[in-house]
Amino acid sequence: MTQMTTASSSRTYLVIWCWLAGLMLLSVVLSALPIAKATVVLLVLLLSTVKALLVALYYMHLKIDRRLLAFVAVFPLVLISLATLLVLSSYLVRL
Amino acid sequence: MSQAATASEGHPSLYSATGVASNKLGMWVFLASEVMFFTGLLAAYIVLRMGHPAWPGSEGHLSVPMGTLNTFVLICSSMTIVMALAALHDGKIGVVRRWLLATVGLGSLFLVIKGIEYSAKFSHHIFPSSSIFWSCYFTLTGFHALHVLGGIIFNLWVWQLTFKTAVWERRSHFLELAGLYWHFVDIVWIFLFPLLYLL
Repeated sequence: MTQMTTASSSRTYLVIWCWLAGLMLLSVVLSALPIAKATVVLLVLLLSTVKALLVALYYMHLKIDRRLLAFVAVFPLVLISLATLLVLSSYLVRL
Repeated sequence: MSQAATASEGHPSLYSATGVASNKLGMWVFLASEVMFFTGLLAAYIVLRMGHPAWPGSEGHLSVPMGTLNTFVLICSSMTIVMALAALHDGKIGVVRRWLLATVGLGSLFLVIKGIEYSAKFSHHIFPSSSIFWSCYFTLTGFHALHVLGGIIFNLWVWQLTFKTAVWERRSHFLELAGLYWHFVDIVWIFLFPLLYLL
């Protein structure tokens, strides 16, 4: 890898760090605002998902790595989502 | 070749038939199992919470500033370890060591802050058995803290490897594996923080 590419990577890492810190602060501010709880939950969890994606794509290099690794990362999430939906469905039926 | 792939350069025997380095594939499979472990705990927490409209109640107060500080510390540590990887590609071993030590330091700071939070709860006679909320809180944060401790030990082990020139030439890819593990620990906290402290 050339020096220039490494320098460019370091710059990207710093930019992502700024985004992560900024989104974290936005989550804290949103949670303190007098808006509907359901909206806050949705927005804050959405921001958390964006932060997790930034870490996975740029810091864990899933953006440039082989697709197989992305599959390995996503597959358990699909399984656990199905299991959670199953549990939640029993809760929703009781409503 | 991508930056991630170059971490295992010079170790052709490590590549599996998939074209991915075996150790890296192994780490991702391990992380996949960890995802299921933590998501299972989080799902249980969410379901329990949805069943209690007043959750966590007046007794379930957590310090948002402390949680925010700890989140910032982990975000910084994710940056420092990925900078160590960038320095490795630059061939600057001294810089690698400094970024790794910074990561270890930030990870330790996270545990110290978590320890302060725990001791404050204990001094108020709040224990895992106090309520379902506290049971969930101590279980989730306790398992996460154990993973942070594991990551610190892993990073320290990689750091001491950098001083053994002959070994480091063959084992430098462990830095990338340590980084993957550390980022995973960061991602878990990215979800734990809002679920426990903010919502």
